[in-house]
Amino acid sequence: MILSAILAASPSPTPVSVPGAGIFSSPLLLSLTIWVPVVVAAALSVMPNPRGRYDVLIKQIAFFTNLGLLFVLFVAYNQFQSFVPTMQYEEKVPWLAAIGVTYHLGVDGPGMVMLILSGLIGIASVLASLGIRERVRSYFALLLLVQATVNGAIVAHDMFVLVLFWGAAAIPLALLVFGWGGPRSQVAGWRLVGYWGLGSAALAVGAMTLYAATGATSFDMDVVLKATLSPRLQMAVGLLMIVAAATRLPLFPLHGWMRDVCAEAPVGVSVVVTGAASRLGAFLLLRTLIAAEPVAAHLLGPLLAALAALTVGYGAVAALRTVDIRQVSAYLAMIPGGITVLGLAALSPLGIAGSVLSLFAGGLAAALIVGVCATISERAQSRSLLVLGGLAPRMPNLAWLLIAAALAILGVPILATFPAELMTFFGAFKTQPIGAFTVALGLAVGAVALAALLHRVLFGPPNPDAPGVSDSSLGETWYLALLAGGLLWVGLFPGGPIIPGTDTPLFDPGMVNVMAAGISDMASPYTGPSAQ
Amino acid sequence: MRNAVLVPEALVVAAAVLILLSGRFSWLSAGSRRRLPAVAAGVAIVAFGLELWVGATLSTYFGGALIQDRFALFAKAAVLLAAALAIASADWTTEDSTPIGVAMPLLAAFGVMVAASAGDLVALWAGLELAAAAGVVMVSLRRPDLALRSLIAGGLASALVLMGIAYLYATTGNQDIAAIRAVLLGSGPSVALAIPIVLLLSGLAMRASLAPFQLAGLPAGLGASPLGAGLVVGLIAAGAAVVAIKLAAALLPIPAVYSPYLEVLAAVAMVGGGAAALAVRAPRNRLAYLAAGQVGWLVAGLVTHYRTGVGASLFLLGAFVVAATCGPAVLGRAEGGEAAIAGLGALRPARAAALALAMLSLAGAPPLAGAFGELAVAAALAQSGHFALLALGALGWIMGIAAALSTLRTIYLQSPLEEGHRGAASALPVLTRLSSLGALALCFVIVAYGLFGSPIMGLADQGAEALGLR
Repeated sequence: MILSAILAASPSPTPVSVPGAGIFSSPLLLSLTIWVPVVVAAALSVMPNPRGRYDVLIKQIAFFTNLGLLFVLFVAYNQFQSFVPTMQYEEKVPWLAAIGVTYHLGVDGPGMVMLILSGLIGIASVLASLGIRERVRSYFALLLLVQATVNGAIVAHDMFVLVLFWGAAAIPLALLVFGWGGPRSQVAGWRLVGYWGLGSAALAVGAMTLYAATGATSFDMDVVLKATLSPRLQMAVGLLMIVAAATRLPLFPLHGWMRDVCAEAPVGVSVVVTGAASRLGAFLLLRTLIAAEPVAAHLLGPLLAALAALTVGYGAVAALRTVDIRQVSAYLAMIPGGITVLGLAALSPLGIAGSVLSLFAGGLAAALIVGVCATISERAQSRSLLVLGGLAPRMPNLAWLLIAAALAILGVPILATFPAELMTFFGAFKTQPIGAFTVALGLAVGAVALAALLHRVLFGPPNPDAPGVSDSSLGETWYLALLAGGLLWVGLFPGGPIIPGTDTPLFDPGMVNVMAAGISDMASPYTGPSAQ
Repeated sequence: MRNAVLVPEALVVAAAVLILLSGRFSWLSAGSRRRLPAVAAGVAIVAFGLELWVGATLSTYFGGALIQDRFALFAKAAVLLAAALAIASADWTTEDSTPIGVAMPLLAAFGVMVAASAGDLVALWAGLELAAAAGVVMVSLRRPDLALRSLIAGGLASALVLMGIAYLYATTGNQDIAAIRAVLLGSGPSVALAIPIVLLLSGLAMRASLAPFQLAGLPAGLGASPLGAGLVVGLIAAGAAVVAIKLAAALLPIPAVYSPYLEVLAAVAMVGGGAAALAVRAPRNRLAYLAAGQVGWLVAGLVTHYRTGVGASLFLLGAFVVAATCGPAVLGRAEGGEAAIAGLGALRPARAAALALAMLSLAGAPPLAGAFGELAVAAALAQSGHFALLALGALGWIMGIAAALSTLRTIYLQSPLEEGHRGAASALPVLTRLSSLGALALCFVIVAYGLFGSPIMGLADQGAEALGLR
């Protein structure tokens, strides 16, 4: 019934005035990003695979499904109308009318950025999983379900739908960790379930509070997030949303799952968790706190800044003190999340814009550092920094990629994290000077940790007793290069390449242009004198 | 057309009696007896279809003792579907007696149907007792000792309910549910009324095996055959819930006499059910505790006094009765603990999927039937300001999901037991066309219930409205 209703729904007002408009236009676009992976996952799970005969075919199906989705998303990205503060590609069908639930999907600029990130991470996670040999069918079915739930949480424009997708993400992810993880995968899986369950419960309670406070007529975000609530209620909802986001991003002190999951999960799962699934935390804060509850955002801004500073500082110090390369990468992957939250805490248009770009860039950087460190540990047959040493000459591809990942975490020029961090810090130094300074200090410690990592693993003296080493395979190189390439492309062309001598985009409208759709609206409460 | 409304009841009870008689007097050959489950499931499905077709007619029968309204339509359709799916998906090689095993779910469903359309307190009590008696019979086939325990506990529950009903009758001067409500509209809450209500609700909690009254019902249910366990954990608990919903609607003018007690019951059930499910490892016990936790959510919806809350409870009741009745049935023999279902996903994919979905639905995992129901109840709790209860429910929900994931891990990620080590208690369910079809149908219902839930929730809402809630 829902599908038929969606089919019957009129197409969204797809923009026509930007290059690429009309090439691809579908009233089902956002539904496709959710339900195509679900359908393929269901098909894979019932596909006969006697003694692993079709393992390769299953991997190809997962890959081409993701490739197709990325193509669709890229065309949608190109058609996206920049600088328009409304939801685009909207789909709205009544679902559970008795309690005001609508199947309402839509994306604005930040949502589009997140979708592209999810598409890239989806491809990378499949490529990173080519080495999976056991229960291949179940693995890729679950991986596709993870992607579907992440996409669903990104495009959901109804709080009930958001809670469903947000909560559902933990189930396939936990099963992936349980079933294909390392020796401590059971601990990692339970931690993931516990923390993410806590976050889901906080989000559900927050969503229900918003629903009740706005008359209990609708869960639509256009209703519940645009209502004027009392400051006390805003604070309550804001705190619940911070708990939900902190368990997912993760933020200190609710980061307990991150180390174990990144260290124990298969590489592809670590990539999708750090690259896309965890970014949903900051996206949730942006959508439900910063853009919706201005009073609470003002009051909770210092708390967010403190959490950001603690996260970056803790991640950097812990990375410095850890001798397991995968755990080091997990701690380092917490840093971009802290920076994203700092931008949100800034409550200034520049800070918020920096946060949105940081969602994309930080997601790629976190996935890259986690992926490359996991690949090094597999290729060098050891995770201990006491064993790894002098690997640069013996694994040149991975050495370059590790350097790129380290630079991306630090935010050096020509990589996408540079403009993101620049905007974030410029936006934050004025409104949250202590937080921004502390985050910068943490980043400096992170730089030391990264330098120590690079020195020890790549350029230190080789360990004669270490096991044999080999460079990355073609699939591993491709997925890591894809992540690094994404960082490089947006770093070089944040506004998209233009036809020389004109202002016309060549084929890419530019990440900063696309994400601008919606940011001005979100930042509007913070542009007045009170925010200065 | 008016009398056609009673055809589903007549069909179900006639089929049950005929099947019992055929078993008693050996009317059927062994081959025909093997077809009994398919016939019974078919009868229940036909009754379900008829209920949906003719059940929309509003009318009263037997001088107002039975009322056909939207509430009755919803509850009857839900139990008929649950009975049909449970009979179809059960592994009949593990049941102790085919004729009795087939007839008792039909009789239990009939009992709940009577309670759902009851217009007075006596019909309400009689329907519940009939359903409970069917459960005792199922338990007695395998474990007479537990059946005796169940009978004694059931007697106590019945006595509590009867005392409550008697006091309520004495206080209001009426046994008609609508009349009781009308009388209570003009009176305030009093201790004289609160005591019988507490007795009544305690009896119902005992019937539903809710903590702290689960001591007799739950072990008895767990000792029964798979279908018997489903009957005790699912259908009888649903019967108690139906009675509770109807009584809560009657007592709506004076919520102070029942609401605080229900809040405590709901909180203990939600948190206790989740915690107990996490603590145990045997899949059948886990199913039972998850079911108890979901009954807690169902009770929480009644605390709200809102139509949305009662409607949400009713919507959840549909999801609950299907998953809780069919879960133990699809689990089959697997009484040897968690190891018995290790690798079931590879060996019996349809049953494994049905078991996994039933368990996840009882745990409230999105986006399955139970999750939609629990979230709807959560919305009503927020609307009525019961945030503490909502937070406790969320706590129980986390524990329930973790428990269900643990079983999923065993089903799909662990290697199966070697056949040499597989004892009788861990025997794999026997594959039959009917049971596979039943398992697949169960999967479809659990997934589709929420995803295509608008008309179902609409009907549940109308059911709450039919009880006089605004």
